[in-house]
Amino acid sequence: MMSIAFQDTSNVLQARAEHNAKLALRADRKRVTWFPVVVLGLLLALPALQFVGNYNYVLHLILFTACYATMASGWNILGGFTGYISLGHNVFFCIGGYFAGMILARYGVSTLVTAPLAGLICAAVGYLIGRITLKTRGPSFIISSLALVMIARILFDNWHFVGGANGVALPANDLSVVWAKLPYYYAFVVLAAAAVFVSYKIKHSKFGLGLRAISKDEIKAESAGIDTRTYKTLAFAISAAFVGMAGAIWGEYLTYIRPNIFLVILVSVNMVLMCILGGKGTVAGPVIGAILIVAFNEIFVATLGSSELNILASGLIMALALMFFPLGVIGTLAAKHRLPRILNWD
Amino acid sequence: MADILQTLILGLALGGVFALMGSGLSLVFGVMRIVNLAHPVMIIAGAYVAYWGFKLYGIDPLVMLPVAIVILAVIGILLYKLVFEREARSAKYSEMTVLLTFAVAMIVEGALGGLFTNTQRVTSPAYATDAIFIGDVFIPTGQLYAGILSLVIIAGLALFLKYSRFGYAIRATTQNREAAELLGVNVSMVALVSFAIGIGLAGAAGSLVSFVFSFFPAKHWEWIAVLMSLVVLGGMGSLLGTVVASFLLSVIAAFVGTYIGATWSTMTFFLALFLILLVRPQGLFGEKPELA
Repeated sequence: MMSIAFQDTSNVLQARAEHNAKLALRADRKRVTWFPVVVLGLLLALPALQFVGNYNYVLHLILFTACYATMASGWNILGGFTGYISLGHNVFFCIGGYFAGMILARYGVSTLVTAPLAGLICAAVGYLIGRITLKTRGPSFIISSLALVMIARILFDNWHFVGGANGVALPANDLSVVWAKLPYYYAFVVLAAAAVFVSYKIKHSKFGLGLRAISKDEIKAESAGIDTRTYKTLAFAISAAFVGMAGAIWGEYLTYIRPNIFLVILVSVNMVLMCILGGKGTVAGPVIGAILIVAFNEIFVATLGSSELNILASGLIMALALMFFPLGVIGTLAAKHRLPRILNWD
Repeated sequence: MADILQTLILGLALGGVFALMGSGLSLVFGVMRIVNLAHPVMIIAGAYVAYWGFKLYGIDPLVMLPVAIVILAVIGILLYKLVFEREARSAKYSEMTVLLTFAVAMIVEGALGGLFTNTQRVTSPAYATDAIFIGDVFIPTGQLYAGILSLVIIAGLALFLKYSRFGYAIRATTQNREAAELLGVNVSMVALVSFAIGIGLAGAAGSLVSFVFSFFPAKHWEWIAVLMSLVVLGGMGSLLGTVVASFLLSVIAAFVGTYIGATWSTMTFFLALFLILLVRPQGLFGEKPELA
């Protein structure tokens, strides 16, 4: 009897595996891989515009969008896939910026070289912090992430080695005005592409499946045999790494590191807002959100030009999006089966 | 010795004000399970009511207090009707409402900043800069009045919750929403009224704060973590807990400020919040870990 039962099970398992492979193959065939690749190619070729004129503003906008796309994609790994909403991810933006910035200021090594190292440092710090704060869940995790920003702000404001509240000026590169933005432009475009690729890889792995299980119901995920604590701490570390790398390069790009560049609430709000607006937990969502918010900010600041109204507008968008558009662009389109195939990066 | 006594007195004087700042937050969480991150910015709004009353018409902030309560309570009712009523059946209610109140906090901060700029304000009635001397130690009268008045208001709230019929309904809803509803309590009415009371308390706290601290719209970010630490340590929803926690933490913060350095005094609240969430998320007086 026993052996028959086992034989039956293995048959069923094999049939299921074959079925899954067939589904995956079908999904792969439908996936429009060429689209993101072409977009990336266009972005990499775009600086050629500088040969015929000065398009620094366009480059700046794309660079800024790519910076936020990196951060939002990073945030999405924890906030979207795992369901732990952090309002304190700008702490890693700050740590990355300061780590690479201080090396640049002291030893003259460009942040383009040290950014991966800054990412590793942020992953380590993120792992340690996550180990502690991920014990809490839901609202108390959100509150603890806010407290983290406050603690970091006081520490960095009073840490004289890194210049306290005044910060540290960083040397600018010695390229001509036309080409000065290029290294950072390429760095951010590559980072954003890497963040999207890693998001995709995570979403299609056993690890990503575990993260999604945690976001649906952590207790059930735990009882299904997922090591939830390790999974979510790793998700925290990976998301911190991307935000940290973006911070490292952002500091050199601005030629200045100062607590009130990194540790302002608007930076972390932007990450959250981009993910909600684009579609939390999707691969393309954070990128779409970054494009929308950066474009919106550019129009808003150009016409009204006030940071108070910018905060007001960000709050309004966030409230309206949460109330009437909780799935975001990608999520809503997917729910209505209207998602264009070129935007389906999942 | 005098130093220690002095620090203790300063800590206790502020403790009362903190207790009032936190009590509205605690009440709203108790009844509606909303972690209202917009509470601190409502306190700032209340402080502006008192500030303009004082600046334009020379009205004492203590007289403006009832006005601030009414204005803020009306804002609370509008907010409840516009935002929170329709979220009541949302699946991820608690997380949703945290993010929504966060967005509301940004909206109000931006509006206040746009209207009144981000310069530091403070109302300066005569008693705010005065002090009573007892031997070597002094008690700043502004903080003393604010602390006493805070405790009076909290006592009034406690009596209302304990002895009035509506207060009874509020407590029933706090304990068990479904059971209260079954027994004929109009739960959504209770939620509306306690939200209005909560925001009204923010207005009261604001007019007291206006002469105790200097304020500007963006200051509420700092207060979010400060007030959260009080309410979480006390046990979310427990009024007595909030009061005890306020005195405890504000005395500790006063000692940290005197003996370690003024910049580290607010750090007390943030670290406390962190530690409490990790070690005992239900707080001192909470029964079960509601927040975890």
